[in-house]
Amino acid sequence: MRSIALIAAALVALAGCMEIEQTATPSRQGKYQGKPDSTPWSNQPLAAGPQWKQGDRASWEEQIKKRQLGQHEHRRIYQ
Amino acid sequence: MARMKFLVDAERCIECNGCVTACKNENEVPWGVNRRKVVTINDGVVGAEKSLSVACMHCSDAPCMAVCPVDCFYRTDDGVVLHDKDLCIGCGYCFYACPFGAPQFPQAGAFGLRGKMDKCTFCAGGPEADRSDAEFKKYGRNRLAEGKLPACAEMCSTKALLGGDGDVIADIYRERVARRGVKGAEAWGWGTAYGPPPKGAAPAAAPAGGKS
Amino acid sequence: MLLTRKANAGVTSQSRLARGLNGVLGRTIDRRTFLKRSGITAGAGALAAHLPFSMMGEAKAAEAAEGKIEVKRTVCTHCSVGCAIDAHVQNGVWIRQEPVFDSPLNLGAHCAKGASIREHGITHDSHRLKYPMKLEGGKWKRISWDTAYDEISKKLLAIRDDKEKGGPDALFVVGSSKHNNEQSYLLRKWVSLWGTNNCDHQARICHSTTVAGVAQTWGYGAMTNSYNDEQNSKSMMFLGSNAAEAHPVSMLHTLHAKENGAKVIVVDPRYTRTAAKADIYVRHRSGSDVAFLFGVLYHVFKNGWEDKQYIHDRVYGMDKVREEVMAKWTPDKVTEVTGVSEAEVANVAKTLAENRPGFIIWAMGQTQHTNANAIVRASNILMLALGNVGRSGGGCNIYRGHDNVQGATDIGPNPDTLPGYYPVAVPGAWAHWSRVWNVDPKWIAGRYAPGMQGKPGTTVSRWIDGVLEKNDAIDQGPNLRAIFYWGHAPNSQSRGSEMIEAMKKLDLMVVLDPYPSASAAMFAMVRKDGAYLLPVATQLETEGSATASNRSLQWREKVIDPLFESRTDHMIMYQLAEKLGFADQFVGKKDGKQNIRLVKGKGGMEPSMEDTLREVNRGCWTIGYTGQSPERLQAHMRNMHLFDVKSLRCKGGKDAKTGYDMTGDYFGLPWPCYGTAAIKHPGTPNLYDTSKHSMDGGHTFRALFGVEKDGVNLLAEDGVHSKGSDITTGYPQFDHVLLKKLGWWDELTDEEKKEAEGKLWTNDLSGGIQRVAMKHGCSAFGNAKARAIVWNFPDGIPQHREPLFSPRPDLVAKYPTHDDVKVLWRLPTMFKSVQDKAVKEEMHKKFPLILTSGRLVEYEGGGEETRSNPWLAELMQDNFVEINPITASQRHIKNGDFVWVSTPGKNADGSHVKLKVKALVTERVGPDTCFIPFHFSGWWQGQDMLAYYPEGAAPIVRGEAVNTATTYGYDRVTMMQETKTTLCQVAKA
Repeated sequence: MRSIALIAAALVALAGCMEIEQTATPSRQGKYQGKPDSTPWSNQPLAAGPQWKQGDRASWEEQIKKRQLGQHEHRRIYQ
Repeated sequence: MARMKFLVDAERCIECNGCVTACKNENEVPWGVNRRKVVTINDGVVGAEKSLSVACMHCSDAPCMAVCPVDCFYRTDDGVVLHDKDLCIGCGYCFYACPFGAPQFPQAGAFGLRGKMDKCTFCAGGPEADRSDAEFKKYGRNRLAEGKLPACAEMCSTKALLGGDGDVIADIYRERVARRGVKGAEAWGWGTAYGPPPKGAAPAAAPAGGKS
Repeated sequence: MLLTRKANAGVTSQSRLARGLNGVLGRTIDRRTFLKRSGITAGAGALAAHLPFSMMGEAKAAEAAEGKIEVKRTVCTHCSVGCAIDAHVQNGVWIRQEPVFDSPLNLGAHCAKGASIREHGITHDSHRLKYPMKLEGGKWKRISWDTAYDEISKKLLAIRDDKEKGGPDALFVVGSSKHNNEQSYLLRKWVSLWGTNNCDHQARICHSTTVAGVAQTWGYGAMTNSYNDEQNSKSMMFLGSNAAEAHPVSMLHTLHAKENGAKVIVVDPRYTRTAAKADIYVRHRSGSDVAFLFGVLYHVFKNGWEDKQYIHDRVYGMDKVREEVMAKWTPDKVTEVTGVSEAEVANVAKTLAENRPGFIIWAMGQTQHTNANAIVRASNILMLALGNVGRSGGGCNIYRGHDNVQGATDIGPNPDTLPGYYPVAVPGAWAHWSRVWNVDPKWIAGRYAPGMQGKPGTTVSRWIDGVLEKNDAIDQGPNLRAIFYWGHAPNSQSRGSEMIEAMKKLDLMVVLDPYPSASAAMFAMVRKDGAYLLPVATQLETEGSATASNRSLQWREKVIDPLFESRTDHMIMYQLAEKLGFADQFVGKKDGKQNIRLVKGKGGMEPSMEDTLREVNRGCWTIGYTGQSPERLQAHMRNMHLFDVKSLRCKGGKDAKTGYDMTGDYFGLPWPCYGTAAIKHPGTPNLYDTSKHSMDGGHTFRALFGVEKDGVNLLAEDGVHSKGSDITTGYPQFDHVLLKKLGWWDELTDEEKKEAEGKLWTNDLSGGIQRVAMKHGCSAFGNAKARAIVWNFPDGIPQHREPLFSPRPDLVAKYPTHDDVKVLWRLPTMFKSVQDKAVKEEMHKKFPLILTSGRLVEYEGGGEETRSNPWLAELMQDNFVEINPITASQRHIKNGDFVWVSTPGKNADGSHVKLKVKALVTERVGPDTCFIPFHFSGWWQGQDMLAYYPEGAAPIVRGEAVNTATTYGYDRVTMMQETKTTLCQVAKA
């Protein structure tokens, strides 16, 4: 039991060598001890508002990026 | 993968409080709870006054999350720090840990007892069914689940407050800085909060009066 | 499992965290300040204790509720920037508001007021006036609309029919700059049909001096360019504007320009939020603006930086101004008056000269002075000398206050003009409007007291004197006995302590407002009966157009129905007109024709807003309110994305709904938009800009003042004209004679000829004269020079004159104010006698500090509306006085202490007026100056007036109104009140 834990720890350590962990607290959407929360892109888009393919993270992010340009007056001024 | 962040451009922020009321409006936050605040340092001091809009910065390494005794915080896949009000015990430990004063505690009941913690959700609701009544009542609006960004950043009067995918924000800000020349560019976001202090950093904040 | 420390908080993260904390605490946030300001310690108040987390009124989460969501496009009602808002409405309830990124004016941005405007639609715990009320036995009592109309009209008619002490002029109607264009236009008509010119609105106390000074200089009384055009500018000098608080979204354009290299200069007695964003900040003494401006001009002339060709071609009288400036405003004298060093003044001059084109930007800081008409003209002269006026990127960007104060000034209730600035004193103006209104001119004349139709009425700043002054001293039959406060705050007028004396004497006061306003509480404080409150719908509960500061018109869609029992302004006007006997005239019903249709609204029938705008289009030729048909405006609102931000021009595109082609239009058809809608004039983005063809929004200076003065040519010099003009010299305004002389008469259609015969460009209802003039590239209003000398004003060349209550008696001796005037706007008006008395009584010793007033971003105007909005009210819970640390310590005052601020103003018992406010000790003001914001009311010299408001309709935040204590003093030309410079003393309470 104890050895398994050690091996697991070693594996984690090795993984750490290969990739720098960007965040100290990993994302745990739906996996923590409280009530799970679904991802934004898993929703059906509203009729009046940005549209994306339900469940498709990439298409949702595409919309978010478009929306974000509203905060960028250069885009509207020099369109 | 989008990672949600806020950034405040101190060269632009004029303390108009548009972000504050946008938040109040969108999330129907009650009196006394301020998910977002505009802070002005060196208030009225010629040449030294700066204003900044502050809320939960959705830290990559969130101290609230680290200290919470009931482990009610979680980070979503897009980098937003949320918490579960059903687990929260209102202890206020996160408030001490947070460098930004983000956690808020509504009064509960007639004796002014501290209620469950409340804070900026990046307009991403919380652990209830997305866009449900229950989510709105407990956590406010879930704009991310509508494909929109936080109301405060979207409505900022001078577009000083940027909110959204960190990469896109960085691009917007870079374009702006390039245009105005590096001199005098001062932003305040996760970079300045966690990175090394930039050269020629402003001196320690003088006691600021604010307006009330 | 619970109550255990989390397992995954690693050591490495702690060190990074610590680093972050240090960085943050050391550098940016003063945490204690932050805590103090966060609502937790700031006293959440009783409100928070009983609320659930979310207030959850009608608003429901989108998906959970049923019903289709409609998106209504409206415009913020809080200032003149004109920020567009998309309101999401479900089952008649306003549930969300979304930014309109497409708007070329605000690009989705909002300040605190705009971002919280949805609160207007929330009905639970609303602080609105909910039903008509009447003051009876000292208590506010609910009554029905019918009762209210019956009683009010009976009283009005009794006053009108009183041969001894009554007549139509016994009524004064205070209108509103928050009415939309159509309503403000209808109100001027309503007052005319009642038979008086006693009407006014906020513009009197906001930009009347600007409108007079600017129009008399070059033609039109408006901002020359747009907020957007600042992006084409190289320098911007804010003198008398705190745009960051008063017009926050305009700063989007300003700061964008700054980032592109434009220099920003702020000249202000306070280091404002705007100043915090400036390249150059200059602190001058309040009220010394002429001296400062001419001090700058001195350096311009001395260094030969003036635009000599431009002055020769387009300006009259600059040589005389130059002589005066060089003789009178040498640097020593400028420093003596303004307190600004020579180096600072020279630096401003150099910056403006080296960075052209540039703007001077002003608001109340210039206009609310006893010599404000001179201050604004000095600003004009500076811009003319630099050759900045009449081009993109330069000019006078005059920031108007309310969302439609420009429109209400243009076509609303002014005491001296009919809609479109047609002067009441000119009989032809009445003939013109009677035709447009479809009313018998003789009938209108009969409504007036003999001799009064052509006499400008009194002003909102002075109505109290119309009540209180001895009858033989006033220039009208009766004293004022009845007053309508139709969307106007009383606490925005100076001499509040005397206003309650006037209220004591009134026969009737009617307050028409969405909020009971301070009028109700002030009246109930001193009276037991005599007042009525009528609940009015907000601009979000009706449709219509509003003119932003840049002269663009925007059409608002109705978001929701009028809440509670409130009715729209125009419905109330019509229903009262029914009771008073001029309903048919009001809608232009005569000889089987009816100009304005009646449509169904909540509470009855009301005049159609679209038809009203069409009537405006048929009559307002002078200022080009003729091309903005409802259809064109609505097409613009639906297609904002097609308009360029920097030029406001539509590059190309058609409206999907109507097929209307907007190509070439400027957004909102900024007036003047000449001719009929059919000829498709695109509007005028920048006034007097000769680089464009007149059908392309090009312009010249207006020929309003004759063709020559004392042998000197007043028309533009040869070769100066708008692009493509067939006349290449100066020319007078167009009329039928000129058209015939030019041989262009036959270009009119037969129908146009019939109408245009014997007419000018201003009263030819066919629009033919304008059409043909513009076809030839001419401006119908002529091509003249701007006037650096306005010889018909008391000071042709602007003079510095000390305020009536000056801290400097030595300067009063050198720069005294005007002599008293026996009759000005129907009232005797004091200048010198007040100033001399103040010096003699040594007011500057009893009250050694300058008291000035101004805006806060959270509130608007008198503030009752915004202080009733919890999202805003929470941000600013007390009124305060800004006081310098030195001044405070001399008086043992600490930050946050309650203090008494007293002024030379007097109560009826002879005591000086005093205000109880909190001290905000700050270097924002110099040691000689104190500042109090003007948005508060609901306290009276230390007493909370809560008991005098109708129950449940008092604003959440109440405080001392600064104007209770402001003193006597009016502009010599327009009767603008002095609220920016008076004296005060501060003592610990």
